[in-house]
Amino acid sequence: MNLFRSEEHVTRWLDGRTAGATLSASKLCDLAHAWWGDRLAPDWRPHHREQNQSILDSLGLTEPFWQLP
Amino acid sequence: MDDVDVALRNRTYALFVELGRAPSLEEAASASGVSIDEAAAGWQRLHDAHALVLHPGSTTLRMANPFAAQLTPYRVHAAGRWWHANCAWDAFGICAALDTDGRIQTACADCGDEIIVDVSNRRPVFDPGVVFHCLVPASQWWDDIVFS
Repeated sequence: MNLFRSEEHVTRWLDGRTAGATLSASKLCDLAHAWWGDRLAPDWRPHHREQNQSILDSLGLTEPFWQLP
Repeated sequence: MDDVDVALRNRTYALFVELGRAPSLEEAASASGVSIDEAAAGWQRLHDAHALVLHPGSTTLRMANPFAAQLTPYRVHAAGRWWHANCAWDAFGICAALDTDGRIQTACADCGDEIIVDVSNRRPVFDPGVVFHCLVPASQWWDDIVFS
């Protein structure tokens, strides 16, 4: 899960491997706040799978790549 | 993961932020009011439940996601100190977890050029070309979370 200068750099880094998913930094920032925002809450409780999938879905990450086990 | 384990987890995370580094097992046990053996067993259950990550075969923290317990290529300046993140997602996650602005400093995984992203009011300020790539599908993240 890395940052790259551009999509061209991702392609070069992949070097023929199957690509995963590429997101803008803005989308990643949204995802990070939704996913990690509660991790230091004193009353934190474990996330259920459905809760995490709902976060991904709410950001439009609905492709099979983003389906949790 | 029962309530005792959740309390140990939450105390471990709070201690990580208080100390600015990963707590030792002894520190987490003391802060949680449990024995070292109880804390070790609790950390192992939390590791098994993906609530934190231990180094293999040890009672040493590797990840309290999004925080990394060791130096990584993802440095984050937030809340007055430098942190290390496990990956790009976690780097933004540190600003999110601390609910603060911050600066993410890393290098392009391809060419090695420095990439700096400032996070201000939950929005990134960055070179518009910068992108995030996730190689491993979500269904396989925990098959090898260190690689993912």
